[in-house]
Amino acid sequence: MELILLPLLRFAFGAISMAGGRWTRAISLLALLCDAALLTRIALLLAGGARLEITLGGWADAVGIAFVGDLIGLPIAALIWGLAVAVALYTWRNELRPYFFVLLHFLIGSAFAMVFTQDLFNAYVILELLTLTSFLLVGYERKPRQIWASLRYLILCSVGMSLFLLGIAVAYYHTGTLNVVRLAAHIAGNPSASWIPLAAALLVGGVAVKAGIFFFSLWLPAAHSRAMPAVSALLSGVVIKMGVVELFRLAEVFPLDLTFTVLGVATGLLGILYAIQTYDLKELLAFHTLSQIGYLLIGFGAESAASRLGALDYAIAHGLFKALLFLAVGQAVACVGSSDVRALKLERCSIPLATRIAIAVGMLGIVGIPPFAGFTAKAVLESGVHSILVRVMVGVISVGTAASFSKLLPLLPARSTATCERPTTAAYAWLGGAIALFLPLSATLVPRSILSATWQWPAYLEAGIAVMLGYGVHRLLRGRSLGLPKRLFRVEEGTVAIVAGVLIVFALLRFV
Amino acid sequence: MFGFNGVTIAIVLFGIGLLGLIIRRDLVIKLLALGLVNSATILCLVSLGAQESGAPPILTPDMRAAIVDPLPQAIVLSAIVINFAILALALVFVMLLVERYHTTDSARIERESDTEEETWN
Repeated sequence: MELILLPLLRFAFGAISMAGGRWTRAISLLALLCDAALLTRIALLLAGGARLEITLGGWADAVGIAFVGDLIGLPIAALIWGLAVAVALYTWRNELRPYFFVLLHFLIGSAFAMVFTQDLFNAYVILELLTLTSFLLVGYERKPRQIWASLRYLILCSVGMSLFLLGIAVAYYHTGTLNVVRLAAHIAGNPSASWIPLAAALLVGGVAVKAGIFFFSLWLPAAHSRAMPAVSALLSGVVIKMGVVELFRLAEVFPLDLTFTVLGVATGLLGILYAIQTYDLKELLAFHTLSQIGYLLIGFGAESAASRLGALDYAIAHGLFKALLFLAVGQAVACVGSSDVRALKLERCSIPLATRIAIAVGMLGIVGIPPFAGFTAKAVLESGVHSILVRVMVGVISVGTAASFSKLLPLLPARSTATCERPTTAAYAWLGGAIALFLPLSATLVPRSILSATWQWPAYLEAGIAVMLGYGVHRLLRGRSLGLPKRLFRVEEGTVAIVAGVLIVFALLRFV
Repeated sequence: MFGFNGVTIAIVLFGIGLLGLIIRRDLVIKLLALGLVNSATILCLVSLGAQESGAPPILTPDMRAAIVDPLPQAIVLSAIVINFAILALALVFVMLLVERYHTTDSARIERESDTEEETWN
């Protein structure tokens, strides 16, 4: 019951917020409290060993919509709640139309529904709902650049979701069910059926468009970097994760380890290369979203319990530090009036101190310095990856992360003469605290034996070397362009890339 | 499965839609192509659910045994509504773009939005 109440209450609050007026903020607050109560209740029930399961409308669970509370859904739901709190704190003093809050409620409600759903078609509807709400949120300020970015987002996501629906059609035609658990049982009974690669390629390819994977999600850099900071934080922290959650669910149905490893390595490397090339700070963060999704896929493709837990842990860590970075960078950009790193460097005195501290904490988190979030999650993830080649790739991505974030170092030390108002310190403290205290937080998810094994000197050494090498690469490349094409991110190339990506996934599943 | 039936037609239409998205530069035509892609998916779903001489899945007292599977049709109804919402909202955004750039040519909008100075509040 709690599982279904969680999204439905949000939708109700969204509907009430349409009336607008002075109660809008109070309703957001009430919604956050209700979420917290329901999530605590779900967590307590799960900890008590109860099986949380509900099939809507009294249908048999082969065709009815099933919601299941499990260990993939709950941590991500907690992340969604944490980011919702951060966004509420960040936008507390802003002048926003009621329309913004309506969309926000719908977005968070759909995200809550997404993490618990076991039904493929239900997932399709929710993903489309997320597309529509985030499309409107990206274009909220009505700046032409935002409008164009969000239109590209909508077109590419709609193509992706059509492919997903085709995949649903193939799977339903052959098995007569849309429930992922039943589908998995069906496939385990006949793992070499000829329709499986086709259905898997269509489903994975369709979701990959929403999940921020290179060659599928080429809309992402523009949409994430042009939206307002609070929206970017939610897009990177929550909406992208919903695609990833669905990919995790599909991984339990289809044999996707190799596909995930290939896509993960490609996404990680290309994301990093583009991040090193760009000097636009918000775009840099957007490209990092791509590269970090690469980590998640590598972790999930490695097919060991520790790496999967690591991937889940990393999804949460990434949500926290990326949201913090988007919020803090957004404020810095608003104070200086440009998002170019070089311009920001010249005007760094006008960035408030709290914002610079928040950027520093976010950087420590994303680069993976102990004891911040990125280090713990990455160590757990790597402890489960056994292939040497993949481990080297993970290392290269870490070095690249450090290299591209070295660009931000000159922003940090300066005497602040900030005249920029907007106190958003509470949001920074909330997210920064979670990043700094990530070890005890992830102890609720990851077994202690795995955690303590990762807190050893080889891991510290690895983190240190990655940062040093990254800084070296940054010094080496300074002022040079890698010459990667920017025209890749148009609608036409994006569509071609989606089709090519689906064919590649199909080939990987069918012939390898 | 690959005779001249709904599924084949759906695949062809899907391809035409994708081609339209890729080679046409006019945004309105791009959206029409997107509509074609979405409709092709719907046609595919309905055709896969269809069967020879199946009755419509409507419960009546004197119902014969062979009825068509109602689930694809239920799915299609939701999908049609979603696709309608997407097209309608996309057209509104195209309208906003035309107000600003006075063109529906995606390549020109791309160029102008890239060179345009961003105004941060």
